[in-house]
Amino acid sequence: MSTEPLLSAEGLCYSYLERFAALADVSLEVQRGERLALLGANGCGKSTLLKILAGLIFPDRGSYRAFGEEVSEPKIEDEQFSRGFRARVGFVFQNSDAQVFSPTVREEIAFGPLQLGLAPGEIEERMNDVVALLEIGELIERAPYQLSAGQKKRVAIASVLVMNPELLLLDEPTAGLDPRSRHWLLELMGELGAAGKTIVFATHELEQLEWVADRCLVLSEAHRLLAEGAPSEILSDRELLLRANLIHEHTHQRGALLHSHPHERGHHG
Amino acid sequence: MAGGATTPAWLLESEAGAFPIGCSGRRRRGSALEKTLDGLAKVVRQAITSEETAARPGLLQSLDARAKLLSVVALLVAVGLVRHIPVLAGVYLLTLALAAASRIGLWGFVRRVWLFIPVFTGLIVAPAMFSFVTPGEVVLPLGHWFGHEVGLTRQGLTSAGLIVCRVATSISLVVLLTLTTSWPRLLSALRTLFVPRLLVLVLGMAYRYLFVLLDSISEMVIARRARTIAAGRNGRGARAAAGFSGGALFGKAHALSEEIHQAMLARGFRGEARTLERARLRALDGIWLLACLALAVLVVGGDRALGL
Amino acid sequence: MHIPDGYLSPATCAVTGAAMVPVIGTACARVKRVVKDRHAPLLALGAAYSFLVMMFNIPIPDGTTAHAVGAVLIAVLLGPWAAVVCVSVALVIQALFFGDGGVLALGANALNMAFVMPFVGYGVYRLAAGNTSLTSRRRALAAGIGGYVGLNAAALCAAIELGLQPTLFHSANGTPLYAPFHLAQTIPTMALAHLTIAGAAEFILTLGVVAYLQRANLPLLRINHPGVVDTDEELAPTRRLPALRWALIGIATMIILSPLGLLAPGGAYGEDAPIDLNPHSYGLSAIPGGLQHYNGFWKHTLLADYGFASGRHASLGYVLSAALGALAVGAAILLFVAVGRAVARRRPDVQTG
Repeated sequence: MSTEPLLSAEGLCYSYLERFAALADVSLEVQRGERLALLGANGCGKSTLLKILAGLIFPDRGSYRAFGEEVSEPKIEDEQFSRGFRARVGFVFQNSDAQVFSPTVREEIAFGPLQLGLAPGEIEERMNDVVALLEIGELIERAPYQLSAGQKKRVAIASVLVMNPELLLLDEPTAGLDPRSRHWLLELMGELGAAGKTIVFATHELEQLEWVADRCLVLSEAHRLLAEGAPSEILSDRELLLRANLIHEHTHQRGALLHSHPHERGHHG
Repeated sequence: MAGGATTPAWLLESEAGAFPIGCSGRRRRGSALEKTLDGLAKVVRQAITSEETAARPGLLQSLDARAKLLSVVALLVAVGLVRHIPVLAGVYLLTLALAAASRIGLWGFVRRVWLFIPVFTGLIVAPAMFSFVTPGEVVLPLGHWFGHEVGLTRQGLTSAGLIVCRVATSISLVVLLTLTTSWPRLLSALRTLFVPRLLVLVLGMAYRYLFVLLDSISEMVIARRARTIAAGRNGRGARAAAGFSGGALFGKAHALSEEIHQAMLARGFRGEARTLERARLRALDGIWLLACLALAVLVVGGDRALGL
Repeated sequence: MHIPDGYLSPATCAVTGAAMVPVIGTACARVKRVVKDRHAPLLALGAAYSFLVMMFNIPIPDGTTAHAVGAVLIAVLLGPWAAVVCVSVALVIQALFFGDGGVLALGANALNMAFVMPFVGYGVYRLAAGNTSLTSRRRALAAGIGGYVGLNAAALCAAIELGLQPTLFHSANGTPLYAPFHLAQTIPTMALAHLTIAGAAEFILTLGVVAYLQRANLPLLRINHPGVVDTDEELAPTRRLPALRWALIGIATMIILSPLGLLAPGGAYGEDAPIDLNPHSYGLSAIPGGLQHYNGFWKHTLLADYGFASGRHASLGYVLSAALGALAVGAAILLFVAVGRAVARRRPDVQTG
């Protein structure tokens, strides 16, 4: 029992509208406390995989177990299971506009705990802590449309953390953020990982990967699993990164830090 | 992408000669549609953001939203029942006093109320002052027609005055409510009163996503303008584009709604949203509500005392 | 078409509001049951959409504006009950923040635009679309026609509500207490603005969006059209619409239009007198100078026709015709609800896809 991984998925297949494949035979395991990065180019199925792991959509084929229980559509209809599962899994969407849907930041943060039926006093307490942690005290009475992208992301993360999930799923968490917010978010993910949270996140940015992830899965543009390994292994496999469309042939690599220069015409035929 | 396709030669050449950049004197006036879209975002934003006035320390701001909502409805009914212009004028003056007590700039308040609906109402009901719409005692004869005296009638003038005053007073009451109550408070007031929870949930989210859709519209307008060169056929082109933009917008809205739904599910939503409990009604709110109800009765009673 | 507070008597507001209570209740319940729990975001976006459509003013010749509502479009895409919720919510936001449509008058405005319009329009759409495929031109055209008819039905209801006011509510000396124009004036004016400009806008919007979705986003159209095949080629041997349905649509149209014929015997809109052109709401802001000038010529006939001079007779006539008009509209509403129910029973409003 103790050896069972926190999440295990076997042969996941998913297609949109029964026509457009998003995942083809993907299997994975996530250990408790692990920080796993899903790497892949745009449209390779990272978001779909995360949504399956979050129990928001269900695979056409394949099985998925989480917290020692099978996760399926009929099962999630069960009130107790759904409550237990939703309380354990937090999902930070790529599009903060979709995630932050309440009239005010306060109501947004309270939404999750309220649905789970926590006591008002405890909600208040947790809300204060999470607001302090994410430094959004002055935003609490604001409406979401008055927030910047970085502030919206903080609110989205606060609204998930307040539920104290065991497993955090983040879809492209740093996309569209300015450098300071990016740095702050990566640090936060580091802290949460150190605090024992299991973190699965999707990204196609390779900077600071070694710092925030213990292990990487690489998805191909054919929606299949291409490789699996420690960040240092994956990052040193230039051929693999090229095949996954995570770098282009003019990306230079110095140690773990990647940087690139614009494609200059004339150097190549 | 890299290395595969080569850039076509025409893309590397400047086309400076083909489209001279100097002015030809022919100006393309943006189509009415584009202009409407353009101004839309600004207007909506201005109209529906009451946070600033709602946060000021004032009389109405200190009251509970439920008490305010109920008192406004009571006064609206009273105003609806009043049949004498002086009584309406009295209630209107009272709204001005309330605005002042709530630290709302009087000039801005008056302008917001009177433009545009009461003024428009005045124009609309103008013909009703004449004897051929509202027959009665002619007070300003304009002539005779086949034996009938025609002109402005007492009944017509009174009627026009009544409706303009009533419209302005009603709008003043509603504007007082919305200017002194933040939207979330108003929503939770609706929730605790008589409105179905689903409707309130939808109301809150509709308001929230109005802004997202407005941004989408602005983007579409800008993108369209950036690609529109041909002058002249703006009207039809814009109208044809309206259908497409409308469709694209609905597609966006639908995709967004799917994501929002998933975001709600992910946080434990099971079809019945639970919400934060709001503050209890205080004694002051009760007193206010009772005072407004008494005032409403007084207004109608006084009006009836003046005759039917 | 938004009626502000002050135009309608509190009694009218109470009656229309009371009529809307069960409608809203039913709509909430039906939408909830049919679409499980994803209704809220979908309806919210529908409401925001309708709000924007109503803000989308299209200039009419005189310099003022007319607008579409989008109710029939939402009814076509998400079902008529969803349209009830969406348009009602949009109306609430407008009433509170723009004074566009009153708070007391919400019931009346919702009755016109959030109930009569989507159901009449959707009924016409279903009948006109018949057994066609999802991508057929006839279906897009049917949606446009549905929008046009729906908007005009809503405008007619608004005209009747307004036109009843001076007859039902006046003081002892004949002073109208609320909106002062009679049915004979409100109906032609509303018809003029809505049969032309606003109707055209609604037609273009509904048809344009459906045509666009046919090409670009078919899954969106499938939400409310389960079991309808995608293309004409897949169409099974055609099952003609029962003649009864066509008879019903004919009768319904006549019922809807009959008050027009009943109450405007003088001729076409605005021909009798400039005051007939009640430039109400989204009509015209001023009466064209020419009409005003030549008004005198027609006045005698007008007086003779309607007997304006002898108050009692006119009032009696109006009460009679108003009652008839109300009855006709009531019958039409009942009919369309029945059609809508029959339709909805077979096809759920919004299907979880």
